[in-house]
Amino acid sequence: MIQSVVQLRGIAKTYTIGREITVNALRGVDLDVRPGEFVAIMGPSGSGKSTLMNILGCLDVPDSGTYVLAGENVGKLSDDKLAAIRNQHIGFVFQTFNLLPRLNAIENVELPLIYGGDRHDRRARALSALEQVGLGDRVHHRPSELSGGQQQRVAIARALLNDPSMILADEPTGNLDSRSSAEILAIFQRLNDLGKTVVMVTHEPDVAAHTKRIVRMRDGVVARDELVSQPRRAEDEIAAGIGAAE
Amino acid sequence: MKLFDSFRSALQSLVVNKLRSALTMLGVIIGVAAVIAMVSVGNGASQSVQNTILSLGSNLVTVTPNFSTDQGLRGAGAQAQNLTLDDMRSIQDQLGTSIVAIEAEQQTGRWQVTAAGQNWNTQVTGVTENYQAVRDWPLEEGDFFSTSDLNVNAQVAVIGSTTATSLFGDGDAVGQTIQLRQAFGGGKDQRARIINFKVIGVLATKGTTFGFSRDDQIVVPITTAQHVLTGQLNRVQQIVIKAASSDTMDETTSDVNNILLQRHKISDPANADFAVTNQNDTLQALSNVTGTFTLLLGAIGGISLLVGGIGIMNIMLVSVNERTREIGIRKAVGARRGDILTQFLIEAIALTGLGGVLGILIGWSITVAVHQIPQAASVPLVITTGTVIIAVSVSVGIGVIFGIYPAMRAARLHPIQALRYE
Repeated sequence: MIQSVVQLRGIAKTYTIGREITVNALRGVDLDVRPGEFVAIMGPSGSGKSTLMNILGCLDVPDSGTYVLAGENVGKLSDDKLAAIRNQHIGFVFQTFNLLPRLNAIENVELPLIYGGDRHDRRARALSALEQVGLGDRVHHRPSELSGGQQQRVAIARALLNDPSMILADEPTGNLDSRSSAEILAIFQRLNDLGKTVVMVTHEPDVAAHTKRIVRMRDGVVARDELVSQPRRAEDEIAAGIGAAE
Repeated sequence: MKLFDSFRSALQSLVVNKLRSALTMLGVIIGVAAVIAMVSVGNGASQSVQNTILSLGSNLVTVTPNFSTDQGLRGAGAQAQNLTLDDMRSIQDQLGTSIVAIEAEQQTGRWQVTAAGQNWNTQVTGVTENYQAVRDWPLEEGDFFSTSDLNVNAQVAVIGSTTATSLFGDGDAVGQTIQLRQAFGGGKDQRARIINFKVIGVLATKGTTFGFSRDDQIVVPITTAQHVLTGQLNRVQQIVIKAASSDTMDETTSDVNNILLQRHKISDPANADFAVTNQNDTLQALSNVTGTFTLLLGAIGGISLLVGGIGIMNIMLVSVNERTREIGIRKAVGARRGDILTQFLIEAIALTGLGGVLGILIGWSITVAVHQIPQAASVPLVITTGTVIIAVSVSVGIGVIFGIYPAMRAARLHPIQALRYE
């Protein structure tokens, strides 16, 4: 049996809002993600998918349950250890791109290597990551000089840089038009074809239809977990001139 | 994270907010400039006071008469012996070559002096032959009087340069005769004593000490002063000894004390009828005063530095708040607390360090400018490396002290909250 990239067992997380209201965001989530999978996590707001995303991304720790990421139990690590795990194992892609506005494209892409990894080939690796997402000619542009789709591609290049165990995308197409969305999904599919594990949170069924597996959350638990029999190919849709989310 | 990267990103963010960085730095610049300028003016003033003291001669140990305090007023049984010329000769014999020179002085008061039809009023002092050696005071022309002049109570005089100019103008003073006059008696019985002296030398110009010209005076052999001018035979007002070096001054002081105690037959030093003062003590006392003065000036500068530091903290807090999202992003891609802390701390230190350097330059310019004012020109320019090192390290220290709190706030931010911050 192939070792899972992600193995969640009985993950629970409770938030306290104000003084008295407690929210059971997650109530015992079991989930396995195997290498090379392309998973969409769906669910209505309040279903716990954002909390699950934060825990998967090691931005937050569960109250109970175990989380094994790439063979390492990360459930109870310190802040600094979690930072190192994020740096080595997770590539984030956010809805709002989250690029540093003062840095140009290549400097943004380099960022993970500043906090871990070698210095000497930093530029070269950042450049090749940018070329991989088709932005080899926009290296010195600032985020404000790039379109939304281009900014998201810079973010993907940044996520790729440390060769992470998993790319974690949080509504990556939420702020994009349908054409750009299709391009971004095409990049994810291409990366997945190359063997990258991608986990994507989305609430759009059309976007989720491009993945290989859909996990539906409801009330803090996994409600349905199903494989997509025939994932839509974003590249074909671009070629046919239609947006992915149409 | 490498320190180089921290530096780069810190400088980047300072350059992006140029105006804000400059204004923030201004507080530190003004503070450091104030400290540098004030302390160097203070040091300069203290140097100038010290120079004045040393212009009276260096390494001096001075003996002055003192009333015996054994029984309040000088009582029966006390030797009632003041300082004498013999005391001086005795010290001279006993200390020999362990001291540079020794002299005794007797003030005779102010006299009316006439020569070549000119009239002048000045101080006349009786001194011994080694006066010049003790006071480090060369002659402009002529000779100083010798022991043989003292032995015969010769009526010869050496005059100060101002006195010479006043009496003889540009003419030659050496070889001229001056008349000292002093009125005595009163009413219609008033008479004047007139005593002739021959000028044998003119002292080199020395300048003023505490506002008094030291070049307007006449010195005569002490024996002549005693026998002819005052009639106080064998009494001297002070004995001045020039020690071999600053280090031997304490030793010389105690030697002189012992010799005089023995000569005056006083067993308890507390009852001594003389006082021995060490020039080091005087310098020490004065440097305490000027040191306090400098400290006060420095403290005023320090307050502006403190205000500047608070400005730094304020701006850093605003900056941390503004860049919450950036902190979130950096944490998401793997920045540890220490990385964020270092980044913000370096920003604060870069601000204060650069401000410190600029402050030194401005403070130095102010000091030079102050030096251009005629009234302050005599105050030496003293910017020590110590002052500069202290100013820079204090400003960098202020960066650390006032930067650490904002930096810690940044480092402690939770990544999720930081990422969601709008």
